[in-house]
Amino acid sequence: MIEAQALSKRYGTKTAVDAVSFTVQPGKVTGFLGPNGAGKSTTMRMIVGLDNPSGGRAAVNGLPYAQHKAPLRELGALLDAKAVHPKRSAYTHLRALAATHAIPDSRVREVIELAGLGPVAKKRVGGFSLGMGQRLGIASALLGDPQTVILDEPVNGLDPEGVQWVRRLAKSLAAEGRTVFLSSHLMSEMALTADHLIVIGRGRIIADAPIQSIIDGQGAARVRVRADRPQDLLGSLAADGVSSQILEPELLEVTGVEPRRIAEIAVRNGVLIYELTPIQVSLEDAYMQLTSQEVEYSSQSPLSSGLLAASTEGPRA
Amino acid sequence: MTTPATTAPTPALPDPRPHPRHEFGSDVSFGRVLKSEWIKITSVPSTVILIIITTVVMIGLAALLAWQTTLSLNLEADPEMAAQMQGSSDAASAALGIPGSGLAFGQLLIASLAVVLIASEWGTGMIRSTLVVVPRRSLALLAKQSVMAGISFIVGAGSALVAYFVVQPVLNTADLGFALSDDGALLHIVNTGLVLALVSIFAMSIGTLIRNTAGGVVTSIGVLLVLPILFTVFGAGTEWVADAARFLPSSGGDQMVATTIAEGAFTQWQGALILGGWSLLLLTASLAVTRKRDV
Repeated sequence: MIEAQALSKRYGTKTAVDAVSFTVQPGKVTGFLGPNGAGKSTTMRMIVGLDNPSGGRAAVNGLPYAQHKAPLRELGALLDAKAVHPKRSAYTHLRALAATHAIPDSRVREVIELAGLGPVAKKRVGGFSLGMGQRLGIASALLGDPQTVILDEPVNGLDPEGVQWVRRLAKSLAAEGRTVFLSSHLMSEMALTADHLIVIGRGRIIADAPIQSIIDGQGAARVRVRADRPQDLLGSLAADGVSSQILEPELLEVTGVEPRRIAEIAVRNGVLIYELTPIQVSLEDAYMQLTSQEVEYSSQSPLSSGLLAASTEGPRA
Repeated sequence: MTTPATTAPTPALPDPRPHPRHEFGSDVSFGRVLKSEWIKITSVPSTVILIIITTVVMIGLAALLAWQTTLSLNLEADPEMAAQMQGSSDAASAALGIPGSGLAFGQLLIASLAVVLIASEWGTGMIRSTLVVVPRRSLALLAKQSVMAGISFIVGAGSALVAYFVVQPVLNTADLGFALSDDGALLHIVNTGLVLALVSIFAMSIGTLIRNTAGGVVTSIGVLLVLPILFTVFGAGTEWVADAARFLPSSGGDQMVATTIAEGAFTQWQGALILGGWSLLLLTASLAVTRKRDV
């Protein structure tokens, strides 16, 4: 379990992480989602103590990470796939890390096989592709059989098979009761892997909820309707107080009502309907909506027009 | 956890399904981190090659100096003069210092290597792996310092000891051979190792502070090699400069391996205090700074 309390990181006048508080629960995959530069990596680095927080505190399984007697058995982290000396082999790299906790060679070989690095284990890491580097980073994260696993952008550079492997791995670790915290800027990836989402934008938490409730909670339901006389249907719907718009000659998008209600209105007005599809709000839509709210909220300056506006000033500025 | 209810995260549930615990791995200890650092140093081929080169060159330089010393003595035109020189106390005490005569060169290589070992951790990003595994930063740094200082001591004292045996047959031709039990012989050999160990700590601390290989090498070589030259040049006319020069780290090292102590000069132990003091000072600074910094 990971707990962050009012965790902050400032660089000079710039606030990278602004008093974030959250708890990452065991037994499920928690996604940490946000655009590049939102503060994901900085937050993760503060959790493992690589960055000193400017304020607040973080605890891993109840204690600040550095205070654990056997840190590797509490938490494994992939923060940077290139955090390896290029002249060392994957095997000696892992063996050196394992030695600090007297983890036996048998476990080193186990994680090498688990990560699919068997054939290249004795090769120098300098020649590794980004994907192989990610696999090595994940192998080192699992070395101590930790209760908590942190993976920063784990699918970066992985081939499709590797991406699937990370998904299965994250889910199986969570199913074993471990705490799994992985970050991504790819919403589609999160939709497939995570059970719970923590969304961060400009260093602040903008959502912390189960993934389904984030999708459900955003925007009214929309229904796509194909009809022979869209103009008539539009008018009838409007008469009933339902808003809709014509997207294509015979295609409407109706907002805020159940499909059955649309069909009733169409029947009453003698309009032929040949498609009636509820549109699932994608995580991507939900995310864009969340972050756009954040932008509106925080830019009270004349520069409020764009997503890029005044990204360094906090809302209190 | 005493945060107000409004900001408190969802209450922590007890782990519903404690994951299976394997019976391997123990707590981090200094000995285990030492072993890890030993694996790191010995698994990079260029490091091992440089250590071997340093040892071989130090032995070779001592042999060369022995050969040159006897040669110049044996070539003295006047056999009477030569006889006088041979076995004289001046030549004998100079001979005592031959086993460690590769030190000037050796400490440049060791200093460079010590800087490379720590600065490359930052250069390659390895430091992040290191400090995630051993989050107590001083523990991680002290282990690396200890391993490199230990290796440096063995390189210095070992090469001087080997050089002792190599140069005896050469020195014997000029009647300059000596025994390990002779006054100062063993101290010189041991101190050759100690100087390298202290220089290693000195340079690795600079590397830790600067976190950049080129900058760290230039700085430590500059302090060890260039600074004494500058002091000599400017100390020629000014007494206080010449006086201050005696407290340079390199001067301390020179006194540690000296086989004759000039009148008023520092003894071997005083020299050790000077070099050791500098190394300890920088080590303390590097630990304090690293604790505060982001990695």
